[in-house]
Amino acid sequence: MESEGAESTSSGPGPVEVVNSIRERTIAENSMVVLLQGLQGEVTTVDLRNESTARGRVVNVDAFMNVRLEDVLYRDRRGQVTRLQDLFITGRNIRYVHIPDHVDIMKTIQSQLAKIHRVRNFASLGGGRKEYAKKTK
Amino acid sequence: MLHTNGRDDVLAARHGLVHLGEEAGFSARSLSTLQLSAGPQTVTMVLLKNLHPPTEGVRHEQAETTAVMDGQRLGCGTLYVAETRLSWFDGSGMGFCLEYPTISLHAISRDVSAYPQEHLYVMVNGKLSDENEAEMAEKPADEEEEEDDSSSGGGDDDDDEEGRITEIRFVPSDKAALESMFSAMCECQALHPDPEDEDSDNDFEGEEYDVEEAEAEHGHADIPTFYTCDEGLSSLTQEGQATLERLEGMLAQSVAQQYHMAGVRTEESKPEFEDGMEVDAAAMEAGQFEDADVDH
Repeated sequence: MESEGAESTSSGPGPVEVVNSIRERTIAENSMVVLLQGLQGEVTTVDLRNESTARGRVVNVDAFMNVRLEDVLYRDRRGQVTRLQDLFITGRNIRYVHIPDHVDIMKTIQSQLAKIHRVRNFASLGGGRKEYAKKTK
Repeated sequence: MLHTNGRDDVLAARHGLVHLGEEAGFSARSLSTLQLSAGPQTVTMVLLKNLHPPTEGVRHEQAETTAVMDGQRLGCGTLYVAETRLSWFDGSGMGFCLEYPTISLHAISRDVSAYPQEHLYVMVNGKLSDENEAEMAEKPADEEEEEDDSSSGGGDDDDDEEGRITEIRFVPSDKAALESMFSAMCECQALHPDPEDEDSDNDFEGEEYDVEEAEAEHGHADIPTFYTCDEGLSSLTQEGQATLERLEGMLAQSVAQQYHMAGVRTEESKPEFEDGMEVDAAAMEAGQFEDADVDH
């Protein structure tokens, strides 16, 4: 598939859990987006600012709150329902993201932050291949 | 007779768009403008001379793709998903482009009961043509019946600019390409975050393992989605930890004596080396591990 770029999920074998960009990690850990990122795999409803809604399984949420859903039922503001296989909603156009009742919000936030910290500290703990480590470290 | 609408031209110039009237017939008048004479509405189709397919940063290019804008079939052409903007050209120089910040959402539609062909659906904020009276949320069922009709009634049309949208469908002849088209658009959208929505503290001061940088430098990314040496440290049992320390001690003792390995940095103190490769290489130095209980 295409290169990863700023996306943390490729359409390849499966979603990569860690966000690749330092900037995205920082943005995420400083906002509630981490909660949404923890919803990966959950089926939920997204309310858009244009009064339509989309219900589907969360494939990925990036730091800019762009949401990617799959197996979606998209209901426009008139109530017309369309089925979509994959849907990408720009963060700017999202009004609400519903959190499923069974999701423990605090635990989700905590585990997402833990994942971010694991990646962040990966190198300082000596992880990564030594021979390629940056000289500045 | 040339019919020009000043506002349309401004819109076209800003967005690089093509406007079509309700029917497909047209006659060419000049290189720069075409007039569509169609029923009650006459709309100007503006050709921008400097509009050409992008050459750089094209994440995906899909030929034989029909573009349908608010129910209007614009013809068959090539879709370019570039990092700067999304554009479509019909091959004769006519086309339109969309800026990613104007795109609210995009999707793959495979439900042929909703729209007869599998396609890439794109919803754009605002109206691309002021003369186009299409409803904001045009029912797909309507489009099936009246493919060339841009309007499904203007009764409760929202005058509020925020509520007005344009629906574009890109129908490739190769349906298998839809996933790539979709993914390419996802990637490009991510490159255009909302400038109005910036968190104040976006910079992380500390040192961090930059996966992207690592990937760019040597074509792989040590993403800790599995337990590697140090990540696994946190999940070692006490026994495991003790074993690790013992082994590290042994290694430190032996390896500290002499260290000549081509291609490996030797500045760091040896106890930190946990990569098994080093142990094997070191073992080639005779006598180093005589006292160690290591099998090779």
